[in-house]
Amino acid sequence: MMSSSGRFLSIVMAFAVMLGLSFNAQGAGHGGMDVPKIKSSVLLKGLESPWDMAFLPDGTMFFTEKCKGLSVRTKGGSVNALYGMKGSKGYPDSGSDLFCDGQAGMLGVVADMNFAKNRVLYVYSTSTKYHGSGCKTNFEKCDGNIVMKFNVSGNLKSVSNRTDIVKDIQYKPFESNQPFGGPGAHNGGRIRIGPGGFLWVAGGDRHRGICPQDGKLLCGKVLRIDGDGNAHPGNNPPEGFDKRIYTYGHRNVQGIDFRPSDGRAFTAEHGPWHNDEITGLINGGNAGWDPAEKRGGRGACPDKYCGYEPNQKKGMDPAVRAAYTPMSDTRFKDLMPSAWNNNGFSQGTGSAAFLKGGNWGIYEGRLAVGIMGIAFGDTPAGSRIDMISITPDGLGINNIVRMPLGFSKRFRGLVMGPDNALYVAVDAGEIYRVTAE
Amino acid sequence: MTILAKALCFLSLLMFSGYALSGDKMAGETRYKETCINCHGPAGKGAASYPKISGNEVSYTKSKLEAYRDGIKQGPNSSLMFMFAEALTDGEIANLAAYLKDAKYNEN
Repeated sequence: MMSSSGRFLSIVMAFAVMLGLSFNAQGAGHGGMDVPKIKSSVLLKGLESPWDMAFLPDGTMFFTEKCKGLSVRTKGGSVNALYGMKGSKGYPDSGSDLFCDGQAGMLGVVADMNFAKNRVLYVYSTSTKYHGSGCKTNFEKCDGNIVMKFNVSGNLKSVSNRTDIVKDIQYKPFESNQPFGGPGAHNGGRIRIGPGGFLWVAGGDRHRGICPQDGKLLCGKVLRIDGDGNAHPGNNPPEGFDKRIYTYGHRNVQGIDFRPSDGRAFTAEHGPWHNDEITGLINGGNAGWDPAEKRGGRGACPDKYCGYEPNQKKGMDPAVRAAYTPMSDTRFKDLMPSAWNNNGFSQGTGSAAFLKGGNWGIYEGRLAVGIMGIAFGDTPAGSRIDMISITPDGLGINNIVRMPLGFSKRFRGLVMGPDNALYVAVDAGEIYRVTAE
Repeated sequence: MTILAKALCFLSLLMFSGYALSGDKMAGETRYKETCINCHGPAGKGAASYPKISGNEVSYTKSKLEAYRDGIKQGPNSSLMFMFAEALTDGEIANLAAYLKDAKYNEN
């Protein structure tokens, strides 16, 4: 039964409706919340697997297409092709050593912090140049992912002076007995400039079991280096490790960005049919991925890689797989615990960027995480962008809000632009501009 | 049976067999959006390392899906397709093949 106050409110409401007055849908106590209106529009379309973008302060946007190459969209909106992969058409210059296969190709791009003075741009790609004799099988070193450094011309129509500053990130040359068993698997590939202007390079395990925990191999690592490829003097990897390594024990890092409040690096990793992860990095820390066979209580695995075991060819409870080959294995004393594990699911975490600018209102400072959407077993596809509030200690989350875009695609690359808009590359071929007002 | 009845039977057979062979594009699109789109992208245009699967003849797509359903390897990532294809009925395969033959991606 309605109370007298309730009846009074109903009468007031009825009169208000008759008079054409409108009501805000927000509940009591939400009136002061700064919830931005989020809109999206297509900036570029008709691209082939756009993978990453890098901005200059005036809005100029460099972008990569995985199997084509590097291009730039000028602030006026015109697009110039700059540097192509082998066989690409329409580029003024190309690398005869650059190729794409499977997940590999031209991936990350970022501008030097002092670009206005030195016009330096860094690009991550797959290359045959440093294979040497090390790529005869999947169980050799096989250096096949590199970081290149270019000078960009003043008119944004060409690049020159290619210098390969990292030549020895491993590559998977042949098919293996895994569900995603093709060559070119797990290259990581996102590169970003961190605090102080150093270059961070995110890698992947290239389907080789020993990679993530091996201190001499750069596969399954995050590197922190200078513009010439030298180790940051403050890197603190374990004794005997390559000094370029900032963190190790990673599976496939396709997202890395730095929290505005404290500069701490956070990675987004794609899980193996379980546990996509967001991790706050600790200098010298171990992300805890160890897919090698005959470790952690495991026996032999197909092609010496336990990354999809057990029962890798069939769907099964993700928690069972997680117990067998964990993304964050607690037997490591230097483990960096993840802040978020996607409720135990793997749906394809691709990229991540902290939302910057007051225009993002209550979402400012959250980590936007692109999830491509992969549905195996009973896992829902879940293609979306999440806006995740990470706790100050980086060990957990406060909550997650799904970005209200009104569409779902394979969200591959997320980058903040100088206009405080979020730019989003999707595998289908578009780059979107997402604004908050 | 009269000649007329025989003719009707024959026509019906032609109609239904034709329907089964050509498949239902709309049903194929619906089925495509349930799972296939997550890897192969909108309208089968291909995405990242997953190949383009639109624009092929119906017979080609049908034979591929049937082979996957039978567990016959056709490339390095076949085991992924085995999982998805094993649940497909003949009708779903026909519908998917019909849809994918002419599927076009509109990025807007």
